[in-house]
Amino acid sequence: MSIYFISVITNMTLISFIALSTYLILIVGEVSFGQQAFFGIGAYVTAIYTALFDFPLLISLILAILLSTLVSLFLSIATNRLSGIYFSIATLAFAELFRSSLLEIYYTVSTPNGITGPNGPEGFQNIRWIFDNNITAGMFSLGCFLTLSVLVISLLFLENTSLFKNARLVGKDIILAESLGIRPAVYRGLFIGTAGGIAGFGGGLFALHNTYIEPSMFGIMLGVHALAYTVIGGLGSPIGPLLGVILDIGFLESIRAISEYRMIIFGGAVALVLIVFPEGLINSKLIQKMKRLLKKK
Amino acid sequence: MAIIDFIQVSIDGLLYGSSYSLLAISFSLTFGLMKRINLAFGSTLLFAGAISIWLSQFIAIGIFGTLIVVLFFSMLANLYVEKLCFAPHRKGKGAVVSMIASFAIWMQLDEISSQLLPDRTHSFPELEIPSLYGETILIRGNHILHLTIAVLMVIILFLIIYKTRYGILMRAVSERPETANLLGFNVERVNKMTFALAGISGGMAAFLILTSESQITPFFGVWCTIKGLVAMMLGGVGSLVGALIGGLVLGLVEAHLTYQVGANYREIITYALLFFIIIIFPGGIMGNTIYRNDKSATERI
Repeated sequence: MSIYFISVITNMTLISFIALSTYLILIVGEVSFGQQAFFGIGAYVTAIYTALFDFPLLISLILAILLSTLVSLFLSIATNRLSGIYFSIATLAFAELFRSSLLEIYYTVSTPNGITGPNGPEGFQNIRWIFDNNITAGMFSLGCFLTLSVLVISLLFLENTSLFKNARLVGKDIILAESLGIRPAVYRGLFIGTAGGIAGFGGGLFALHNTYIEPSMFGIMLGVHALAYTVIGGLGSPIGPLLGVILDIGFLESIRAISEYRMIIFGGAVALVLIVFPEGLINSKLIQKMKRLLKKK
Repeated sequence: MAIIDFIQVSIDGLLYGSSYSLLAISFSLTFGLMKRINLAFGSTLLFAGAISIWLSQFIAIGIFGTLIVVLFFSMLANLYVEKLCFAPHRKGKGAVVSMIASFAIWMQLDEISSQLLPDRTHSFPELEIPSLYGETILIRGNHILHLTIAVLMVIILFLIIYKTRYGILMRAVSERPETANLLGFNVERVNKMTFALAGISGGMAAFLILTSESQITPFFGVWCTIKGLVAMMLGGVGSLVGALIGGLVLGLVEAHLTYQVGANYREIITYALLFFIIIIFPGGIMGNTIYRNDKSATERI
């Protein structure tokens, strides 16, 4: 496999993490424009602990997950009474607040390989964990892919538990959920917090893979793309967001020959797909049909 | 800070904010009617501007020709967005779907615009308006025109919405789309006309901003979308007067922050302010009754 192909695969797995985090929030009925902030928190925390303080990778990643989960939980509690467009704009404002604050953070250290550390708009250079530990691109890609698989398989199993069913009810009809004794705020906090953690974990891996991060990577484009993958792929199952990522990045990479016009074609194609499949490709009706077919056999 | 500087900065901010008001008003029109965010709004304006620059390579269209081209193409682009992203998802709860579809069209229009404008920055024809010089205070002529047009636009839209037959239809469709449909009104046509109206008023805003900046960059689209959304949220969603005031307040706050703390901290403080305003006063400047009466506030996906 060529290096280029491997790096496309790694990118797809990393973007899948942030797409899955928007998926979890959509389950409880909210639309977040701000998951890129948690991706960014994870990336910066991992970069700071591995490159500046030489912490082991596992501890750095756990810290990244913890911090992004906590911040996400705070956001969920702060926006508890908001929903719909108000929640979306609040998350957008939060993410832009995070991104513009990153532009003002300077703390650089000189190392034999050049300076490292957050350097305002210049970005965070020399995140050399991959080189220092002699990890090849293929190994790293495999590692990302395995963690993603573990996450997706556990989500697939959780899908049948009462936890997820109640959460979907909170998303569909909050009044019905309340009258059944389900507490929406608890489910909201749980899902939004977990979503932040997942995005933070993906961001941590992203920082290691890229070896260079800068604030403009965590702009609104990333968050809205992640949201778009989930909506195209469908809300019926965690496979949906992955399908969206594969369709977008896979399709775009395969038509590199006409790269100048690819967004013109792809943008229109997405809008048309959504007219035919307004609930995404893998929607809950399809899932129920599949279940019925499986039961007959 | 001398009092004279304070006055100068306030005047600059208020006048600059009137262009935010123009954007927010156009945003409010579509949001007020359909309760859906049109993410492609900024790029329809970028597209219209790009077309006018592209055309001017072949024929000299002059400043009024530019105005007409911008207005026409931003109306056309908004109708295209309505056709592809909003009309198919009108029935049922398609808030997220139409938002994502409009995001896809945003990407598409941005790409077309950057194909039309191969360089990053293009000069845009300037509108020569003499500025007012006081003893110590300077007021830019373009900005006075912005404010005048923003106020005029609110008045015209008010007359359209509250005094014409189309306005009654529009409010009926906004309030109860199903009932309006059952009573025999053509909901589709009302939606199309509203998008065309938003396109024309957005095109006016884009023309005024571009002529006063005298340049157009590919980032103009995103800039319009974000500033328009922020100004609309500040003012209170769905209220035209709120949008006007929200834009002015945003301009005022930004101008003072730039003067006091510099452009970078301005961004930080503006977004922090927006975040806390939404959390504490979701209704914005127009008060919480707007938030409580807003059906979209409780709408789920």
